[in-house]
Amino acid sequence: MRHFLAILCLVIAGAGWPVQAQDRGADGAEVLTTWHRLVLELVRHTPTYSPPVASRAFGYVGVTAWELVAGLSGGRSLSGQLNGLDMPPPAAQLDIDPVLAMHGAMAASVQYFFGNTGPTGQRAMQAMTDKTAARLAAELPPEVAARSLAHGAAVAAHIIEWSQGDGGALVENMGFPMEYLPKSGPEFWVPTSTIVQQQAPLLPAWGKNRPFAMPMGNACPLPPPPAYSEEAGSAFRTEAQEVYDTSRSLTDEQKLIARFWSDDPMLSPTPPGHWVSILLDEMERADWPVDRRARALARLGKAGADAFIGCWHTKFEYDLVRPVTYIRRVIDPGWQPILITPPFPEYPSGHSTQSGAAAGILTALFGENHSFDDATHEADGLPVRHFTSFAAAAEEAAISRLYGGIHFRAAIDRGLAQGACIATHANRLETLE
Amino acid sequence: MRLLLALTVIATPALADEPAVPRFAAETEAAGLAHSFTGDWEFMVGGGVAAFDCSGDGLPDLAFTGGTSYSTLWRNDSAKGGALRFTRVQSGIEGAGAAGIWPLDFDDDGITDLAILRVGENLLMRGLGDCRFERANEALGFDGGDGWSTAFAATWEPGQSLPTLAIGNYIDRTQDAFPWGSCTDNWLHRPAGAGYAPRLPLTPSFCALSLLFTDWNASGRPALRVSNDREYYKGGQEQLWHLEPGKPPRLYTEAEGWQRLRIWGMGIASRDLDADGYPEFFLTSMADNKLQKLQPPGEGPVLPRYADIAFSLGAHAQRPYTGGDVRPSTAWHVQFEDVNNDTRADLFIAKGNVSAMPDFAMDDPNNLLLQRADGSFAEAGDKAGVASMQPARGGAVVDLNGDGWLDIVAVNRNVPSEIWRNLGTDAPGNWIAIAPEQPAPNRHAVNGWVELRTEAGLQRREITLGGCHASGQMVPHHFGLGAADRAEVRVIWPDGHAGDWQTLDAGRIWTLPKQGVAAAATP
Repeated sequence: MRHFLAILCLVIAGAGWPVQAQDRGADGAEVLTTWHRLVLELVRHTPTYSPPVASRAFGYVGVTAWELVAGLSGGRSLSGQLNGLDMPPPAAQLDIDPVLAMHGAMAASVQYFFGNTGPTGQRAMQAMTDKTAARLAAELPPEVAARSLAHGAAVAAHIIEWSQGDGGALVENMGFPMEYLPKSGPEFWVPTSTIVQQQAPLLPAWGKNRPFAMPMGNACPLPPPPAYSEEAGSAFRTEAQEVYDTSRSLTDEQKLIARFWSDDPMLSPTPPGHWVSILLDEMERADWPVDRRARALARLGKAGADAFIGCWHTKFEYDLVRPVTYIRRVIDPGWQPILITPPFPEYPSGHSTQSGAAAGILTALFGENHSFDDATHEADGLPVRHFTSFAAAAEEAAISRLYGGIHFRAAIDRGLAQGACIATHANRLETLE
Repeated sequence: MRLLLALTVIATPALADEPAVPRFAAETEAAGLAHSFTGDWEFMVGGGVAAFDCSGDGLPDLAFTGGTSYSTLWRNDSAKGGALRFTRVQSGIEGAGAAGIWPLDFDDDGITDLAILRVGENLLMRGLGDCRFERANEALGFDGGDGWSTAFAATWEPGQSLPTLAIGNYIDRTQDAFPWGSCTDNWLHRPAGAGYAPRLPLTPSFCALSLLFTDWNASGRPALRVSNDREYYKGGQEQLWHLEPGKPPRLYTEAEGWQRLRIWGMGIASRDLDADGYPEFFLTSMADNKLQKLQPPGEGPVLPRYADIAFSLGAHAQRPYTGGDVRPSTAWHVQFEDVNNDTRADLFIAKGNVSAMPDFAMDDPNNLLLQRADGSFAEAGDKAGVASMQPARGGAVVDLNGDGWLDIVAVNRNVPSEIWRNLGTDAPGNWIAIAPEQPAPNRHAVNGWVELRTEAGLQRREITLGGCHASGQMVPHHFGLGAADRAEVRVIWPDGHAGDWQTLDAGRIWTLPKQGVAAAATP
């Protein structure tokens, strides 16, 4: 509801807004934020948007925003810094309204990256596009308005063209292969659900995609997980026993933490969206100007996308069995974790890698001990949670997967480390001239 | 190394003992039936048909909702055992804005009435006979509201002369640009005296698309099952409400055993498939559908804990099985009926894309899942001839021409509805149909049970009023008998009284009064 109200205000407010571009910086920030709020909903309501696919969209939409801002305000383009982005964005012409150009860029970008959302999402995107454009253009000369929208759309088209060669542009069957040949052996992943699509793992080739900022998918490798064993006292069995024992003595707080960070696809903005939601709130609270917001969204978006590429690369390198499979086989046939086990290999934990990367980005942007409230799931009836730092939030997100019974300890600890490594690549990029 | 194929075939159990496939003939045009449910966003759900006899000839007539088009009523002029024939008649239900329609006898006068759910004011229409209806909202003090109403169920609470009505509401339609999280309250209309009390909100509500009062735990006290569309709710899940006389409804909780399930809930069907005394529930959704079986109760109260057995029984109906479109399906109306009269309940599922959902199949055939002797299901929609690729919503599986073979109606969105005549199988396929009848109130014994025994075993079905998707039937309860030429039948009445077993001949419709012996009522 909070997000909805923000969007509603943007859509229906309007008359009397200043028309001079230099006076409209706040409007640009609002346009950027509001489109990202809509993206959080579209991620939730577009079935193809599993966490890896969502992270990719956040990456490209964020880079689009930054390239628009950089082109108009003299910031440093990411062209030449991001893998494969060698073309400079379209040059800005005179008499471009930056707010309307931002709207044009966001509208074109979001409509492209969420082109396969359903009828309600299509209506929402169109309503946002039309009503916002009408309001922002109301007091501009028509040719300026048209030129501004066209410039934004051209920047988006530039990024869209670049995106098409990354290996992740075409996602069929919601990311599940029609055929899959699993490895033979008790240590390897097997399906954990009775859903037909999930008899094959999600996006097994995602780790081969072109990353944004890190040089390749295995730029932040991990050591192997503990060697598979069913022997009592072995490292692997001990980790499984920890998951099992924890699940049988969960406190209400631990259950809440598991659900708070569950971030299920199609029922939430997913893990990368959760961190985008945190960033949007913190930028709003700090009243950042549009250029700073665009830089931050681009950086978090890139890191989030790279986190899923790096994590998926490792997942399918080791192809490790899930706790639910192992525990039912070795410890307790009737065991039931409180979270639904995701349909792909265990090691490392995707949310841990993602959260480690996000914490690395947000800490660089806001500082080491930046406390904040996370209201991402308020509309879903989950309480606001307070954190004393982004690192603390990432650690809680990571351990939530153990509480939920879907990850072993090694996947959690090493996932966080992998994410921190991935964040360094995105933080290294230059955005200031 | 094992090859896992993400195809429906992986979940298909043993192919031995394949059931006999009935042959269906498409007779929509030949029957003279021409009705379309039309509309844009506000009619992306809904599209229903009510099957009931309003003309008094014993054959079910059909009333369709029209969305932006008018609702229509079609008198069944089919010859017994012959080709289907329908004639449109003026009935008083004509009007736009209707999404769902259910037959019921709310005044217990023996003339079927209708509940029409609309985008706008809901209507209770009193049956006048001869397929004529009049508005009864004011006479009953029924507040039809002004919502986007999509789901309906009714039951008779003890001591009440009128049924308790549950109405499921969908999105706040004023929030068309940003509807997520805007689910509006469902309503419970309880009787008060000769009419209805002000409606109670069933808060929280999560965009219900199907409701069903069901005696899920064989307690004799029906509860309200709600299937919700996760596309629009926030913090929602499937629901089960306690309904205790004189008390406000309250949700079953996790502490009471309720398990959180979040699906694109669109339709509910129930049947006690394994005759263990508890109904199984089929929940339609997008992609995988759910077939829920109650976990074996232990000591103490029966807990609402269900296992999803759709995958293991080959009933998930996850994607098209013919036509080449491999994207996941979108399922709506669902109904258990024995379409090949082999003594086992089969499953019809109406399929169709919501509206240009690119992640889901556009060529999405209806399913006809025939139950095998081992309880698993075999897809036969294409072989039977009902694998229409039209975007279906509501439906009905009823005997339209009185020959004992159940025919099929599908309501399609923005294209004509369809009907198919069941021409039967080559296997033995006797049948019987039972119409329980008790003194008012609740003349038709809603939430009682019909039980039937033959050498093939026990069949059980709860008499429910609601569920499906936007559609309902009020017809005698059909059972296939296979080769049996008679069956033992009894009714467990809503008050828990079990009637005597009576041996009845096959091939007839029987009225079973609460007191007295059965009477044949074959048209």
